[in-house]
Amino acid sequence: MASTETSTTSTTNDFSGGKTAPESGYVVPSRPPPNLFFLDFGLRLLLFASAVSGLVVMVTSKQTKLIPVTVAPSSQIFVIRDAKFQHSPAFIIITMLVSFFSIASPSPSPKTLFLLILFDTLMAGVMASATGNAGSVAYIGLKGNSHVNWNKICNMYGKFCRHVGSSTAVSLVASIVLVLLVVLSSYSLYRRSR
Amino acid sequence: MESIAKQGVNGGLRHGTGDEGKTQAGAGVSAGILRLLVVAMTLVAALVMATASETQTVSIEVAPTLPPLPVPVTAKASYSSAFVYFIVANAIAFAYSACSLAVVVLKRGSTRGSILPISILDAVMVGLLFSGNGAAAAFGVLGKYGNSHVGWTKVCNVFGRFCAQASASIVVSLIASVNLLALVILSMVGLHRRSSA
Repeated sequence: MASTETSTTSTTNDFSGGKTAPESGYVVPSRPPPNLFFLDFGLRLLLFASAVSGLVVMVTSKQTKLIPVTVAPSSQIFVIRDAKFQHSPAFIIITMLVSFFSIASPSPSPKTLFLLILFDTLMAGVMASATGNAGSVAYIGLKGNSHVNWNKICNMYGKFCRHVGSSTAVSLVASIVLVLLVVLSSYSLYRRSR
Repeated sequence: MESIAKQGVNGGLRHGTGDEGKTQAGAGVSAGILRLLVVAMTLVAALVMATASETQTVSIEVAPTLPPLPVPVTAKASYSSAFVYFIVANAIAFAYSACSLAVVVLKRGSTRGSILPISILDAVMVGLLFSGNGAAAAFGVLGKYGNSHVGWTKVCNVFGRFCAQASASIVVSLIASVNLLALVILSMVGLHRRSSA
């Protein structure tokens, strides 16, 4: 146990020593570090666009229709997933900023890469969960469920259902892009490792 | 113990490869335990959800003059597409994590070759498992609370045991997916530590 702890401290000492003198590793690199950051930035831009458009489409999907049976006009927004969905673009903006700072320097430190991977993985989890959530509710709305007597609603609210469906598809793209970003950053980190 | 620690410090000062090997072995053991937990939890979640089935008798009043008609109704996971997706996602994650556990245990010595494909597939599995969890949780919330705006009534007051089994399965699968996420982060910590020079 003690040997493991001392070995970790020795590696951290080694790491800080490497950090204080980065020029030695920078001038004579054993292998040229991969410059994948334009690809990374492009993917992040796509991610940001898809997340924001998914959010906007989801929030603006409100349709009021007068149903002949019930007297009151009913308008609805699915509450279940909006609460989760609204958080994600803020984090994506943060990772965008980090990526923007990292694109300013041509060779980002492994620490930046590690933080990017951390937040990307967390965001991939949140985004995939939100997409599954939205997809599940939208599927019930599209097809209904006869076993528990939940009627489909998409024959009444056509525009609303198109909004929800396209927003789900866009957020599916966003979560796939997030997983691709994790793959890209881990590949970049892997190329830097010994 | 102290002498071992001193030896470790001295060895670390002279040549750090042996110490890093020890650290990586410790990280490898904890990653293996996490992966074993993922295997067990995804299996348990899939089985509990797949075997959850409950039949209840509900009396339906056809007409006010007639006596209420008892109708048996059954709740099964295969009746809902979200639960089917949940079961399939958990089964895929179980198969993948069992295979990757075998690969990790068999290729204990040379971790560098297999660390990238395994962590990439781990990230894909994180996405799959989280989306399955989200779908099942949305269905479960609808079943527990209903949605009065669109006239979807809650069903958990009728099927109590089925709802308990489904929510337990969702919780177990959620813990498994968080474990998988921790695995991705752990392997990235290992890569980050190695790339510090």
